[in-house]
Amino acid sequence: MFEQQIINGLTLGAVYALIALGYTMVYGIIQLINFAHGEIYMIGAFVGVMMVTILGQGFFVSIIAAMMVCMILGVLLERVAYRPLRKSTRLAALISAIGASIFLQNAMMLWKGPQPVGFPQVINDAIYHIGSVEVTKVQLIILATSAVLMAILNYIVKYVKIGKAMRAASQDYDTASLMGININRVISFTFAIGSALAAAGGVLVGIYFNTVEPLMGVMAGLKAFCAAVLGGIGSIPGAVLGGIFLGVAETIGIAAGFSTYKDAIAFSLLIIVLLFKPTGLLGKPIQRKV
Amino acid sequence: MKKKGLLLTIMVLLTLALLAAGCGGEKDSKDTAASGSGGGDTIKIGFLGATTGDQADFGSKTLAGMKMAAEDLNKEGGVLGKKIEIVEEDHGSKLSEGVNVVQKLINRDKVVAIVGDPTTGITKAVAPIAESSHVVLLSAGAVGANVVNTEDGKLREYVYRNTLLDAVAAPAVVKYLAEELGWKKVAIVTTKDLDYSVGLTKIFKKALADNGIEVVTEETIMDKDRNFAATVTAIKPHQPDGIVFTGYYTAGGLFMKEVKKQGLDINMVGGDGLLGSTLWEMGGEAVNGSMVYCGFEADPSMAQGKTKDFIERYSEANNGEMPNMFVAQGYDAVMMLADAIKAANSDDPVKFKEEIKKLKNWQGVSGTITIRENHEPLKSPVYLLEVVEGENGQQFKVKAAIPVEG
Repeated sequence: MFEQQIINGLTLGAVYALIALGYTMVYGIIQLINFAHGEIYMIGAFVGVMMVTILGQGFFVSIIAAMMVCMILGVLLERVAYRPLRKSTRLAALISAIGASIFLQNAMMLWKGPQPVGFPQVINDAIYHIGSVEVTKVQLIILATSAVLMAILNYIVKYVKIGKAMRAASQDYDTASLMGININRVISFTFAIGSALAAAGGVLVGIYFNTVEPLMGVMAGLKAFCAAVLGGIGSIPGAVLGGIFLGVAETIGIAAGFSTYKDAIAFSLLIIVLLFKPTGLLGKPIQRKV
Repeated sequence: MKKKGLLLTIMVLLTLALLAAGCGGEKDSKDTAASGSGGGDTIKIGFLGATTGDQADFGSKTLAGMKMAAEDLNKEGGVLGKKIEIVEEDHGSKLSEGVNVVQKLINRDKVVAIVGDPTTGITKAVAPIAESSHVVLLSAGAVGANVVNTEDGKLREYVYRNTLLDAVAAPAVVKYLAEELGWKKVAIVTTKDLDYSVGLTKIFKKALADNGIEVVTEETIMDKDRNFAATVTAIKPHQPDGIVFTGYYTAGGLFMKEVKKQGLDINMVGGDGLLGSTLWEMGGEAVNGSMVYCGFEADPSMAQGKTKDFIERYSEANNGEMPNMFVAQGYDAVMMLADAIKAANSDDPVKFKEEIKKLKNWQGVSGTITIRENHEPLKSPVYLLEVVEGENGQQFKVKAAIPVEG
């Protein structure tokens, strides 16, 4: 039973990690908390539903389509809401992010209504027995998809030129641009990748929870943000670790009978970790410049 | 400038038109009121409910039932030689408007009784007015607490209802689960942030204990939760025979989906919070076999006598549409009042309210009603519905009509 709950927790954590990656990458480069990120995740989930119900596509096509749409949306969001404010104070950009978030939620509510929409069954469910643990097919797909996406991200960031540019920009934004890196392209690319991962998370959650709704991004976004900070904001492995840590902790909390407090668990954990490690689990120690 | 002038003229004209229309309406209603009280050969029963707004469906269905009852009574010469007249008003699903409607019905139309409101909230709000004006208020829908009595437990003399209460229904349903379906152990799932669910869980737990069904595990969820994996995993090792789910349909449907996904082949049972097509829109095939109880469900193949006749006549008059619970309860409300007036031989509420208190095993179209000493109705049978695959997709079908003993 405990092992069983760990599987549930890992599945949830994998999705939190996918969303958290977007927060952490954007923060790493432009020090902005992209609060509209949860809404990108929500829109990804809706695109997934529409691909299945209207166009009759399967899981694979739906998730790719959702990632494509959200990639464009993410880049557009950065152009419209953040780029004009890049030279302003960080607070201005933050407020613009909150505005974008509220705008996207309400636009979706206007279009689809506030009611939850059922996610059609795209995967015929089956249960696999691995030792004493039972894993459903949906859980396996979520874990596998997340793992593949994270591996691709890791490859891009470490070995592809644009990924190297991202890392350079995150270390020192100004110097990177002096070295001939097109910083606008790097930022657009970061938003595109982060948004695509969030969209994938949205579709996976839609399949896992069987439903999508316009306000689903609010709590998921906050939790993923928590996960990113917990792991050390700006750190990619940190976001993955934080997401999984949070997912498992929350699931064990529910299993232990604290379902009413499950959101409190996430935020309490964040506070406790930050008390002992202010930069998060894998965060870089703060460097004092003399 | 010119444009502005034109706009102003139009606005003034529109305002005048509205005023004129308003006055006209006022006059009309006054006319009917005058002719009614002048004749003295009618008994007026007011309708309190909404025909517009969120609760329009409850209200308009109640009204349809009331009108049908009045027609039936008048066809046979009325009550005490007087015709029954239904006085309609619409409160537009607004609490404050409900109070106004009641005052109008009592002071302007001089009704002897009011049927309504279908919701607990408005019934509770207007109950003190009916009580102090000595007009009978018979709700054909309120199921919440503190309707027929005040908050401090004092019984109201003029306020009654004819609905199926959870405290009556849940024990009957649990008895059926134990005796007919052989359930021995269940899991209870409570939606912690709904008063309705917390209250219903308490009622169910007592009934389960009384019928020897063991509660193997109690789980709590929140109404907005969408991830039930951990909760279902926690239930699974207990291998219950079924789930008692006291929340609403969205969470209920999704919860059952997770239950079936994790390979548990059991069904859930719950109150009318689960009664709605959203249950299968969310749950899909997983809710087939789920059970919900309610006060009335039209099933021509099972109905007998009065109820069968009522269903047939209603559907004939409404293009084949089946009467729902509100139609049946609205119909019964008027009939109960008529019988009380006949028994008292008077249409004075002070007198016939005593006869309402005495109703025992009263036969209505929605079932048998007994008004108990605490003024609460005991209604039989309880309709237990089951989700089945029908011709037009999933639907509720009557699984059993469970008799309730006093």
